[in-house]
Amino acid sequence: MERDQKPAPIVVCTKVCKRYGTFVALRDVNLDVSKGEVVCIVGPSGGGKSTFLRTINGLETIDSGTICFDGITIPGPARNVGLIRREAGMVFQSFNLFPHMTVRKNLILAPVRARGLSHAEANERAERLLKRVGIASQIDKYPDQLSGGQQQRVAIARALAMEPKVMLFDEPTSALDPEMVKEVLEVVRELAASGMTMIIVTHEMGFAREISSRVVFMVEGSIAVDAPPEQFFNAPSEPRLESFLSKVL
Amino acid sequence: MKLFEFSEVVRYLPELWVGLRFTLLLVFASLAIGTVIGLLVCFGRLLGRGLLVRLCAIYTTIFRGIPEAVLMFWLYYCGPLLGGVRPSSLMAALVAMSLYVGALLSEIFRGGILAVPRGQAEAARSLGVPEFWVWTSVILPQAFRIVIPALIGVAALTVKVSGIASTIGVTELVFQANVIGGQSYRYFELFTAVGVFYFLILFPMSMIAKGYERRLMTRRK
Repeated sequence: MERDQKPAPIVVCTKVCKRYGTFVALRDVNLDVSKGEVVCIVGPSGGGKSTFLRTINGLETIDSGTICFDGITIPGPARNVGLIRREAGMVFQSFNLFPHMTVRKNLILAPVRARGLSHAEANERAERLLKRVGIASQIDKYPDQLSGGQQQRVAIARALAMEPKVMLFDEPTSALDPEMVKEVLEVVRELAASGMTMIIVTHEMGFAREISSRVVFMVEGSIAVDAPPEQFFNAPSEPRLESFLSKVL
Repeated sequence: MKLFEFSEVVRYLPELWVGLRFTLLLVFASLAIGTVIGLLVCFGRLLGRGLLVRLCAIYTTIFRGIPEAVLMFWLYYCGPLLGGVRPSSLMAALVAMSLYVGALLSEIFRGGILAVPRGQAEAARSLGVPEFWVWTSVILPQAFRIVIPALIGVAALTVKVSGIASTIGVTELVFQANVIGGQSYRYFELFTAVGVFYFLILFPMSMIAKGYERRLMTRRK
């Protein structure tokens, strides 16, 4: 490992385990992510990718192991989960925008309630971020008036409004019509270029190859391969990865 | 003598007015108290654990299941045996109706909250929004929209159930009509008037609720 040359890791997952009854969802998952890295997690469905991503911000509890997020550890004091969530933005497969609020209010809620920003500051931030994701004109519409791609871009802006240190993406394009995938990936690409640290669960292999610093292959609840994209896709060292790639590429 | 003598209704209007006021008192007081009970029981079941959850479930099952008339009679006649205090008929009716309405509403509230997609709370929590605001800004407003039609149903039911209070002597609409009818034999006019009164209570209530629901719907289009 060339860990010494990298900047200090911001997310360190150590021996993370999670069970549902007798089913082992995650077994001894170890993953370090450094500042500025973009790590894509790929693998067959049911392999534990989403579950693992959701343990990082405490949406799923873990049975053993530790997760250290920018110095905050879970399991730990009860408030730690809340502290992590403020610094970790998450984007969901199904957008999960608040349907009873306008786009503007969707973006203002968390900065005001979780960061203590004034309404005016949060509003200014909302307008700036919507411009950044290219939908400033939709600010006073309700989510169901927007296309899927627009909704997901709002969801990204909503997460960015907390000015997170890390962004977690849980299959951000899986619920989108094909023609809308591009506009969302474009936003993610722009985020990567700006130096945002990101962990992305995705099925978009081409995108993972293009954008990642590292690609992680998760199968049966553990990480089987963790490699730079060229090595990951060109010289798969693992039979299960080889068979997976032959199916999806 | 005509079959329906409208002047008889007018003549007994003061007595009916007394009845109407008691009916309104029963309905609105039990809806208000029932809402508080309903919220407490609903959150007891959703957020509590162990014994509290079970007690709340038992409360709901019992008071939703017992006929309101039985509950009223029971409180009115058995109250003195248990606590040594004799509740007034109004108090017995009010307590019985509140317990009943509370049981109905607790299940409606719970259903409404559970019907809000899980991803909504997850999204709010993932943003670090404190739990209080997760509930008041995200979950409850959406749950409320879902339960509006059911709330109209409970309001209508409460109005109807209030008539049963006449059997333990609360001088509400049905009781008044019965008493005056006994003296004047004008049952036809009187109970027609009572029916109209009930309609006049319920109709505006459901119109307001429907209008509110429609406004919520169209605003999002």
